Amino acid sequence: MTATALGRPAREPIAWGAIRAIVARDLTAVRRAKAVFLPMLFVPALLLVVVPLGIGLAARSVGSVDVSPFLDRLPADLAAPIATRPPSEQMILLVNGYLLAPLFLIVPLMVSAVLAADAFAGEKERRTLESLLHLPVSDRDLFLAKLLVSFIPALAVSWIGFVCFAIVSNGVGWPVVHRIFVPTQLWMVMIVWVAPAVAALGLGVMVRVSARAETAQEANQLGGAVILPLIFLAMGQATGLLLVDLPIAVGIGAFVWLIAIWLIARGAKRFTRDRMSI
Amino acid sequence: MLLSPPVDARLDTAIRTEGLAKAFGSRRAVDDLTLDVAPGEVLALLGPNGAGKTTTVRLLNGVLAPDAGRATVLGLDPAVEGDAVRRRTGVLTENAGLDDRLTARENLVYTARIRGMARDEAEHRATEVLEQFAMTDMADLRVHGFSTGQRKRVALARALLHDPEILFLDEPTSGLDPTATREVIGLIARLASEEGRTVILCTHFLGEAGRLADRMAVLHRGRLVVFGRPDEIAAGLWPGLDVDVDLDGPADVGLVETVRALAGVIDARPSDPGLRVVVEDREAVPGVAAALGARGVVLYGITPRPPTLEDVYFAIEAQVEATT
Repeated sequence: MTATALGRPAREPIAWGAIRAIVARDLTAVRRAKAVFLPMLFVPALLLVVVPLGIGLAARSVGSVDVSPFLDRLPADLAAPIATRPPSEQMILLVNGYLLAPLFLIVPLMVSAVLAADAFAGEKERRTLESLLHLPVSDRDLFLAKLLVSFIPALAVSWIGFVCFAIVSNGVGWPVVHRIFVPTQLWMVMIVWVAPAVAALGLGVMVRVSARAETAQEANQLGGAVILPLIFLAMGQATGLLLVDLPIAVGIGAFVWLIAIWLIARGAKRFTRDRMSI
Repeated sequence: MLLSPPVDARLDTAIRTEGLAKAFGSRRAVDDLTLDVAPGEVLALLGPNGAGKTTTVRLLNGVLAPDAGRATVLGLDPAVEGDAVRRRTGVLTENAGLDDRLTARENLVYTARIRGMARDEAEHRATEVLEQFAMTDMADLRVHGFSTGQRKRVALARALLHDPEILFLDEPTSGLDPTATREVIGLIARLASEEGRTVILCTHFLGEAGRLADRMAVLHRGRLVVFGRPDEIAAGLWPGLDVDVDLDGPADVGLVETVRALAGVIDARPSDPGLRVVVEDREAVPGVAAALGARGVVLYGITPRPPTLEDVYFAIEAQVEATT
């Protein structure tokens, strides 16, 4: 008898009712855990509301800022729409329409990683895992529920956050730009393609590290290293060292999806009652 | 009312294991375990920490896969049909396993929903079992502030939400104060005796097991060292039945010899209140009383003292320790 034989045979249909109940239970509990919940609101609010608001207000107050040295280093297809605008518009178009896009990826990554750490390692930490394993939910459905607990809110926070970002950016930039300039094409690729991939990556990393971690905090520390490439990406974008244009963004998204799917698939193989209850 | 008919009457055993084994690395947690549990029976699974009790419960619920042997629970193999088994069993884990961030009611309702109940039914059942365990007043408070006893009661209510045919209770009174222990034991006794449920009681508190169990299985380092009714096991361990005779002081040598010579008496020796007599069975007790009366001895009391489960357990443990 192998461990994978435990639980409901794979041919049985997915028990969506049980999955919905697990997702609802976990999200209700997370909503009440201020240490988990507040950072998930604070970071998106900072990145997607406070920063664009500040940039917009600065652009309005200082008038024109010479961003041409930076624009010279950008790929032509990205720089052209900005360079052809009046100097007073260029800073807000550059920052809110371009430079913040990679930084935005921290939001889906952080939300999915924090929730996944709570969903996987947190069950061990709270000593609620064993009673969950004694319920009639297959390993597959339990794993799926835990993925959704992390993935759906990560996308929801990202997308709602982006809508706020667009409203703030366009609102505060209107007196300068006189038109709706967010979302740009780069933003659309980030939102629709790269952000879900990054959320899945955070999830995949946490599924792996949670198998070894005993607490959600430990999992977060172990998984924290995954945020570093994103910081480098954002810094590269800001300094012009790594220039994310549309093809690169699509490519990064595809690469991240591949890694995420590989991590999640490996995590799924190891996600058996026999392993978890030891 | 919680009760559904106990285990399917067509089944002559609720649980059967044959050569069940599970190891973690080089440590054998359960080793060649063979036993059976009848429908409606209360089985005490006894042993010190690390004896294999919790692993046995996990194996029987399909949470762990055995390395060897097989188990049948309600006619199903838990290693293959784990969900089907878990739909019909309820487990109180040693740690109550409640989410502190949820209320007592939410802990129960979400569990009921995961078990497949519709929302209304889940709410109704949660209310019903919380009332049964006298937790109605605390139903909508977060579990975070609950005492260990209150947590156990909520967890026990949760284990019974779906009216399971077999109830596994893993250390149900650990961490409880004496009052809470008595309450929980009373609840379990009611579940076992009045509701006729099959109960597997894992414990190292022998008093509760002695009060509740029909049979006992003693595990030692994963191996079953004894299995049966406590009185039958005791009969194999000690000849006869102890009887305490209260004479308000130790008996003199002559009296001891007189009693020792009586029919049906195996042994007699002086004790603090009078005499400790070992008789072949309780039929010999009136003869002892009559002989004492005939000698004009003032008799304050005569009490048969069958061995408790605790006596049996410690005698077995001593035997096991002596042979290992």
